Amino acid sequence: MADPNKLLIIDDDAHLRESLAEVLELEGFECHQAGTAQSGIDAAIKLNPDAVIMDIQLPDSSGFQICSTLRKRSKSTILIMMTGRFLSSEEKKQGFELGADEYITKPFDLTELTARLRQLLSRPRPGA
Amino acid sequence: MAPPKRRGRLSVRLLLWFLTLSLLPLGSVAWFLIGIAHESLSNEILSTQQALAAGFADTVGKYVSTFKNVLIETAGIEEFAGMNSVKQQQFLNRIMQVHLAFIELSVVSPAGVELMQTGRFLKPNPEMRNFAGEDFFNTALKRGLYMGRLERFQGLYPTMTIAVPIADPKAAGPVGVLLGKVSLNGLTQMLGMEFPSSGRSQASVIAGDGFLIAHSNPKEAFKPEARMGPELVKIITTQNEEKGGGPLLLSDGNRLFGAFAFVPNKMLEWVVFIQQPMDYAERTSAAMLKRTASIVLVVAICVIPLAWLVAGNITQPIRDLRDAADRIAKGQFDEARELLPLDVSNEVGQLAERFDAMREALKEKTDELVGAKEKLEEFTHFLERRVDARTRELKAAQELLIQKERLAAMGAMANVVAHEVRNPLAVIRNATYFVRKKLGAVVDPMIAKHLKIIESEIQQASDIIDEILDFSRTRDLQPTKMPLNAFIEELLSVYPFPGHISLVKRLDASSPNVAIDITEMRQAVRNIVGNAIEVMPSAGSLGIQTYTQGEWAVIEVADSGPGMPPDVLDKIFAAFYTTKARGTGLGLAVVKKVMDRHKGDVKVESALGKGTVFRLYLPVQTEPRPGAAPPPSQGSPTGRV
Repeated sequence: MADPNKLLIIDDDAHLRESLAEVLELEGFECHQAGTAQSGIDAAIKLNPDAVIMDIQLPDSSGFQICSTLRKRSKSTILIMMTGRFLSSEEKKQGFELGADEYITKPFDLTELTARLRQLLSRPRPGA
Repeated sequence: MAPPKRRGRLSVRLLLWFLTLSLLPLGSVAWFLIGIAHESLSNEILSTQQALAAGFADTVGKYVSTFKNVLIETAGIEEFAGMNSVKQQQFLNRIMQVHLAFIELSVVSPAGVELMQTGRFLKPNPEMRNFAGEDFFNTALKRGLYMGRLERFQGLYPTMTIAVPIADPKAAGPVGVLLGKVSLNGLTQMLGMEFPSSGRSQASVIAGDGFLIAHSNPKEAFKPEARMGPELVKIITTQNEEKGGGPLLLSDGNRLFGAFAFVPNKMLEWVVFIQQPMDYAERTSAAMLKRTASIVLVVAICVIPLAWLVAGNITQPIRDLRDAADRIAKGQFDEARELLPLDVSNEVGQLAERFDAMREALKEKTDELVGAKEKLEEFTHFLERRVDARTRELKAAQELLIQKERLAAMGAMANVVAHEVRNPLAVIRNATYFVRKKLGAVVDPMIAKHLKIIESEIQQASDIIDEILDFSRTRDLQPTKMPLNAFIEELLSVYPFPGHISLVKRLDASSPNVAIDITEMRQAVRNIVGNAIEVMPSAGSLGIQTYTQGEWAVIEVADSGPGMPPDVLDKIFAAFYTTKARGTGLGLAVVKKVMDRHKGDVKVESALGKGTVFRLYLPVQTEPRPGAAPPPSQGSPTGRV
């Protein structure tokens, strides 16, 4: 069996971060966590994950900023934006332009999320 | 104010003037005429009396002279002077026969002894008398003639004595004296005939001592000691003139006209006096005065109504002017003109003309003022309306602003709340997922049920957050122009109607075009239809129809549910107001918001026990013609609520 896909979860809410990581590990993913934008970016550089799930609203920066930074470094990493508040079309458009692959709104359906993750990861990616 | 027809003080004044002017000259002239008449009557009476008095004085003198002459002639006859007693007796008898006035005739010797005596009332053989010491005898003997010695025969009838000397041409002196006693009754008879007692005048002959010789009234003359009053005697005898007269005021209060004339005989101091009470002339004057007074009265009676009429005529234009002024004061300019005495051709008419000019000018000014006032009022109304409209606009704008701000604040808050709630919800969901995964396929049915409850509640909480966010967010409207029926048909075709609801659909054949944001409008209609289905849990009929009402396209949704009381109806469109056990109370608030965003409106009508009708009003989109002006701003849709 191939190595499990590496996931990086960036969220300042430790409970959410952990529960999501544990659920996804249960689903067979290798999950890493980060509580701030900076530590998330550092972890991503260090781990080079297959996918990063990040909250838009973080204490030190925004998810859009991370998205922009990470996309510049890697074309293949799947970037999933996670939000608890309402996003306007303009914001979503901006996110996609910065390199985001997907948006999910809390509280998300995990069945759907895992299915979506697997689908995104199975697609041929540049530089993978 | 006085009644308009009443005559004023001016009329009374004029009346008084007319009366004065007409009666004063009349009265003055009458007064003078009466005075003149009184005077000329007095003069006439006096001159007549004087003439009469003079005439009678003459008559009396002649009357007395007649007897004197008889005696003188007889004494001068030779046969008589011869002192033959027989002859003398014959002469005396003859005289007595011819002249009835002689009462006694005597012949007296120069020594004074009576030689012969003849008398009408003598006894036979009378006693001869001696006159030697008598005045009349001596006078006649020495001077030639005596007249006088007034006596009353038998105490009543006045007599006088005449004595003449008998002269014999052959002798050197008188041979005797012829005596005659003459009755003066004839004078009284003459006066009585001339001045009857029925007349106004009385006449008398008096001697210088007041002896009443004759009187027009015999009763006065023939009485013992008949004399005239000493006052009158004094007045008469002290006169220097031979004759005269004038008005007399006696001490007993009698007023009379008196005229006198001395009898022209040197030997006699007799006066004829004619008197007449003055009251005749006064009575005449009084009668004239009375007549004049009645004439004045008649004139006054004639003048008063005449003068009243004339005064009324003169003052009428003035009263008309006054009434016209009253009308002007009330603002009745045209009525005032009808009252003006413009046809009067004098100063009053000229005044009326000036007055009319003034009235015209006043009317013009007043009209201008009224016009200006009306314009001002109109302008004021216009301003008020403008202010009202502006105020309404401002208020609406303010409300809109407040609403927008409130929505924005609510949106911001909702976003925060949503984020904060969504995280725990996400954690719970993750945890539930984890548990379910760990439990595997074989699980206690009760645990499985409760896990389902947790998941369902998470979903519901999530939905509520979605709804609140949906309501509070401000997204741009994306209107699409489409036929109303097409929109409704599409919506109904996918709506999951439960089986117990019978749908009655009636769509407007004309199917007007509307410009709608399909997502929002779908949400609005769905909310209303959803509510309708909810209030009919067992069975019911849902009527959906479209129609056009003027500028408006209407979507009507009618249910046969229990209906709502009025106090609920008032609040149903308010956000967060709900009658349900669970619900955000945003469903109808969203409808209201959507309709507002579409420049339409929503109205509700409900009857308890019968059902509720919602009507959504959308402006009908007409085909824009090239170059056509944009449609005017929408008014409020009409419709029952």
